[in-house]
Amino acid sequence: MDNINTAIKDKREYSDLNLKEVEPITKINLRGKKREFFTKVGQVLSVILPTESNTSTSNQELSALWLSPDEWMIYTNTMNKEIFDRVFKEISSLNYGAVTNVSDQWVCINISGDKLYELLSMSCPFDFSKFKVTKGSTTQTIINHIDVIIHNLGDNNINLFVRRSFSNHLWDWLNDGANLL
Amino acid sequence: MFLINCPYCGVRDQSEFVSGGEAHIARPKQPTELNDDQWAEYLFMRKNIKGIQFERWNHVHGCRKWFNVARDTSNDKIEKIYKMGEQPPKI
Ligand SMILES: [Zn+2]
Repeated sequence: MDNINTAIKDKREYSDLNLKEVEPITKINLRGKKREFFTKVGQVLSVILPTESNTSTSNQELSALWLSPDEWMIYTNTMNKEIFDRVFKEISSLNYGAVTNVSDQWVCINISGDKLYELLSMSCPFDFSKFKVTKGSTTQTIINHIDVIIHNLGDNNINLFVRRSFSNHLWDWLNDGANLL
Repeated sequence: MFLINCPYCGVRDQSEFVSGGEAHIARPKQPTELNDDQWAEYLFMRKNIKGIQFERWNHVHGCRKWFNVARDTSNDKIEKIYKMGEQPPKI
């Protein structure tokens, strides 16, 4: 099922910045509103979906990112194919909500270092002042006109998700920017 | 350029949104009973006023939700933001 191909095949280090693709990672998009949906997600994944905007929840195995009032993204690098099949069977097949495997749709880039937010702000309209001091905060925004999902891991360390077809372009842009800082 | 307070995500830059045109235009219940002029009126004619206009906006690069905005078209000042399905405010 999972074809989790790497997109970037590169890793760069600068004096205050480190960029690398994180793979393989399973990513699942969840959509639902019903009460049973939240209960089932809790049972199957052992995580409570965040209902507050721009936040996330985590357990040892996975993170759940808030995307909209009825949409979340789960990502994990330890869980196997069976977990997706179970979520799909217990939620989507029973019409409690929608479950979509987006592992190959999103590419995950990890960026860390003191100049992280300086780099992003070179072409991003989002105000990071509160975001960067709140570990676990998430946002969807645009960087250099490209849609991204950002997850703050704390201490100037983020996982950035970008659609596969834009990933190499954004990677080049990030490295161009890093060279200028 | 201006800021828009998305009712779901909070204050964001206008570049994260797209405008969906004038709000509160109801689709005719029986389109087949309209003549061409009446259909054109529904399909194409918009107020396009100078002053406070009720518009639909979509946070396309964020939560992807639709909502309504009361915006002064002469200075881009946003008077009110309210959710889909709600009545336009008295301004
Ligand atoms: Zn939003």
